[in-house]
Amino acid sequence: MTAVAPLPDTAPRRQIWSLGGGKGGIGKSLLTGSLGWQLARMGKRVVLVDADLGGANLHTCLGLPAPTLTMGDFIRRRVETIEEVAQETGCPGLRLISGASDFLSAANIKHQQKVRVLNRIRALDVDIVLIDLGAGTSFNILDFFLISDVGMLAVVPEPTSIENSYRFIKSALYRRLRELAPTEGVREIVDGALDQKNPWGIRTPLDLLAAVEREAPGQSDALKEAIANFNPRFVVNQVRGPADIAIGHQLVTACTRHLGIRATYAGFVDYDDTVWQCVRQRRLFMAAFPHCRAAEKVSRLARALLQNDGLVPPHR
Amino acid sequence: MDLRTHYDVLGVEPAASPEQLERAYRFCLDLYGEGSLAMYSLLEPEETREARERVEEAYWVVRDPARRRAYDATLGLERPQPPTLPVDPFAGCAPGAVELAEPVTGPALRRFREQKGIGLREISLRSKVGVRYLEYIEQERHALLPPPVYLRGFLQEYARALGLEPRRTADAYMALLPPQS
Repeated sequence: MTAVAPLPDTAPRRQIWSLGGGKGGIGKSLLTGSLGWQLARMGKRVVLVDADLGGANLHTCLGLPAPTLTMGDFIRRRVETIEEVAQETGCPGLRLISGASDFLSAANIKHQQKVRVLNRIRALDVDIVLIDLGAGTSFNILDFFLISDVGMLAVVPEPTSIENSYRFIKSALYRRLRELAPTEGVREIVDGALDQKNPWGIRTPLDLLAAVEREAPGQSDALKEAIANFNPRFVVNQVRGPADIAIGHQLVTACTRHLGIRATYAGFVDYDDTVWQCVRQRRLFMAAFPHCRAAEKVSRLARALLQNDGLVPPHR
Repeated sequence: MDLRTHYDVLGVEPAASPEQLERAYRFCLDLYGEGSLAMYSLLEPEETREARERVEEAYWVVRDPARRRAYDATLGLERPQPPTLPVDPFAGCAPGAVELAEPVTGPALRRFREQKGIGLREISLRSKVGVRYLEYIEQERHALLPPPVYLRGFLQEYARALGLEPRRTADAYMALLPPQS
């Protein structure tokens, strides 16, 4: 393993990063695992949190056996501290908190429990908590995304994935706006916005702001501020060529123009045979083949995220 | 988002170089192209088509230095003129460019064109003005005509292609337009 020079610390305090994206099977766990591994190699102290609902398998991506203790044990108070369920991964600086399979399912985690988990995650003595949100747009997933300092959305160049990521963005943003709604009337409009056939004709956050201005003049300031601070980062996975790479830029432009949201293109990762070969062998490609194309892109992604940076389209 | 200027439509700064403009144009064509992945589920096909037309219109204006200068002037932007060779004021006019014998209306222009046996497509190729706009000019479909600053340019190109004196033809046509069209 070659040494990687640590980057200057641009993140003075503990940060929570999360990776979602709505659709399943697009490589979120593998991205989370490899990104965490890379950040650890860059000298960050990282805890991965596997919050994948359906199949918590971040440990498999890292080539680890099924964990004996999971987040579920902490939630059910079988252990005292969250530190006890954080297992070592064999990579210095990288630990893993495995999700109970029902970790974020709405039925099984009460609001109080969620707050406790969030508080304890925030209190972990690390530099970066990196959460694999798994698929879906359930409230708990959205809440973890919303409390994150860096909220990433993984997409693959397929219509289903694009559709799900727009849905994820709208769902997350509207959930934040709902919390901030100054009056019952405004909250009603925000609630209505998620319904395609809402009476205000709202289809985008821009429409929503316009509707609030119309129905409740002067009450959109908090919402505008929240929208301005909502900055999802796209990660395009499984790219097979320049046209796929360009999709990240297009998504950012589309968000700005048609949703009024300032998104960033954090990076992309190649479709790489090495990756799935490693998955089959239950080895992390970052460790097994640190110079394969996908690994190089993950390094670049980690660097961009640490520097709060993104890719810039060619005409800029 | 309110995309007011052609530069906003293309997503560039008003100071963008021709190369940047062209790259931005290609980027937008991909973004709003048929079957664009990034637009999937975000816009209706009709909206995507409108966005694409807006991009075409924007690039048509800014890719041409003269049109871009005229457009920038309407935005209140000053751009240093590139050095040019001394220009003959009648350059581009066919020798013996004529004026229409009757008031310059759309139908009059069409009659003149048909007498010369020139098709709209041919004029479009010569003038680089879309056939659709040439039809609007002849049919006097005022609501569909571009803003005056472009319309004047279209008319001059149209006139030049027919061997008519460009400036006076454009002025005469525009003088007959109803106000605010």
